[in-house]
Amino acid sequence: MKKIDPKTISIKRAVCPFCSFGCEFGVVFNDFGVCGVEYIKDGSSNGRLCPRGSAAGMYLDHPRRLAVPMRNGRPAVWSKMSKDLIKVVGSPKSVAVTFDRNVTPEEYAAIVGFCDSVGIQYTASTYFEPEHNLRPFLDKPFAPANLEEANIVLVLGDIFNQAPMSSRAIIEWKMKDKKNELIVIDSLNTHTAGFATRFLKVNVGTEPLLLLGLAQENSGNLDISKATGVDGATVNQISTMIKGNGKGLIFASLSFGHTYDPALCAESLYRLHKFSGMKVVPFVEFPGYNGNQGFSDIIDMVKKKKVKNLINFGELFPFYYPQLVDKLKGANIYATSTLKHSGYTMLPVPLGLEKEGTLVTTFGKKKLPGGIEPPSGAKSIEALLSMLSSGHGKGKTPQPAGRKLDINARAQRVAQLTETKKKSYKLVGEKVAYNFLGFLEGEALKINPLDAAELGIGAHDVASITSKQGSTDLPVKITEDVGQGVVAVAAETPSVRGLFEFTIDNELSAINFIPTEVKICRKE
Amino acid sequence: MQKRIVLDLDLCCGCRSCEAACKAEFKGESRIRHGDIAGVAYLPLACKHCKQPLCLASCPVEAITRDDNTGLVIRSAMVCIGCKSCAFACPFGVIDAPLVRHISQKCSLCADRKEGPRCVSACSSGALQWLSDEEIEQHEIGMRMVSKDLFFRRKP
Repeated sequence: MKKIDPKTISIKRAVCPFCSFGCEFGVVFNDFGVCGVEYIKDGSSNGRLCPRGSAAGMYLDHPRRLAVPMRNGRPAVWSKMSKDLIKVVGSPKSVAVTFDRNVTPEEYAAIVGFCDSVGIQYTASTYFEPEHNLRPFLDKPFAPANLEEANIVLVLGDIFNQAPMSSRAIIEWKMKDKKNELIVIDSLNTHTAGFATRFLKVNVGTEPLLLLGLAQENSGNLDISKATGVDGATVNQISTMIKGNGKGLIFASLSFGHTYDPALCAESLYRLHKFSGMKVVPFVEFPGYNGNQGFSDIIDMVKKKKVKNLINFGELFPFYYPQLVDKLKGANIYATSTLKHSGYTMLPVPLGLEKEGTLVTTFGKKKLPGGIEPPSGAKSIEALLSMLSSGHGKGKTPQPAGRKLDINARAQRVAQLTETKKKSYKLVGEKVAYNFLGFLEGEALKINPLDAAELGIGAHDVASITSKQGSTDLPVKITEDVGQGVVAVAAETPSVRGLFEFTIDNELSAINFIPTEVKICRKE
Repeated sequence: MQKRIVLDLDLCCGCRSCEAACKAEFKGESRIRHGDIAGVAYLPLACKHCKQPLCLASCPVEAITRDDNTGLVIRSAMVCIGCKSCAFACPFGVIDAPLVRHISQKCSLCADRKEGPRCVSACSSGALQWLSDEEIEQHEIGMRMVSKDLFFRRKP
């Protein structure tokens, strides 16, 4: 029998899969299992890690880690689960296959191949994080030399909190030359905005309109200054400054529930890129993939009872989008997951850290080394697919049709959405690395001091937040970072995400989570 | 050689990577905290390992000791009775009053790790550095401890 020695440690090298930076670090093991992470100086990030990387060790053996299949909150056995799934796949016309994050390009290819081989016609993306709209910009990887040449950097969103590993290079670039302009666009006063030469504070959710204004694209004759709250002279001045500037950079992130139209935001960024020649560097946590359908098509097919079973590969859906579950009531949902959630049929899969394959990063493709063992009950997606595909016929997955956006109509719609009703607040989402899955810190509601005083809410109080989608209670953080009439929350946990309204984007058949009207009161 | 954690105010972006690294190591309890500086910045606060520590002087059971060779001020988990005297005595407020497992939580500069504190290794912007007094004098950081550009950050 092996003697257990807690002092014996081994370090396995890993690539952090939790954002698009692909930092390297070591996972430290002793005889009892994972005991933390180690910072590797010769790694791509020089040993530095953001809070997500530091929490990676906690994730691997978290008490909520899903290690066995579960059905409605109860453990199940793989043999029975596989029988059920084979039976489901046996009627491929009533099955839709979807995918969100934690799926490598190799796994995506295997899923599409599986759908082709068994004749599943409907595939769609369930990666509803707004940043997925920025995926096309990942095609041209970013090199640090691009920043050295730049004299203007335009930042969309709070990238220092969302992707802290970006901060060092940008701050040093700004300090190197006082003429270097760091322009930040956001609706909240963030840490990133704190470092800006110019901070363009826009009205909640109207970032795409300002981007269109900067790109001098306003064929709909919209009053951009009124809609965004940024004065016209500033917009014109910056627009003139960036026009034809081929060396500038645009760092872009899109947080959950932060912007009214993320697809328009991506399109506006593309137009600004064409106008200015500035390269767009996207912060996309997971590239995600398209299917041959938009997700709203899948909802329609569930409604029409064409789709009776939905199999999701990834780790977010349906747990992180509870407001969609009502829309899918007619379907049985089978979802792969890495964490335990209540309800649903859950199939344990390895975490990104435990996989071999490719990671698409801001700097290009990176190899995931694997080598860390997943829980014994977890099945890799390839193993799951080979278990399901035995003994079925062949079909063909149709290709998605090309789509074009009507930007004028979309811009008008965003401008209309900026009005806030009396006695209600706009809830916006933030993506803060420190709130990673709620492992390090729970959510808190940021509220302006004047609003807090009006509502009788004090610093250590708990507030009750109610939207049309539901309600939840959160501790309050009183701060001037949010303006009056706005409340913000780091949307990392399902209960908070469940508050956000979604719109169905008819042009793209996609789902958008948008800033939401909420009512706030002090919880007694 | 005595080393200490030095913060470059200009580089800190308030991401709390340092706090996360500490929290991940010490089972959910971070020994480095963040202070909201008048709404202008959000900066990490760690134990200074003072030359004449008030926490040491206030400890009724001598659970806190100072190693003159390394400059480390260490709390012994075996001796600590959880009276919170150290938390109240600390002029910087870096020993948190809530107890964990009935003992106070105090930074040990990751004495178990030869590369130095984890918060410094993790720091995403490189604002936290692990330097000796000599290195601080030679390094630009010596000048930047009070921030090179006082108006670098904007007020909200």
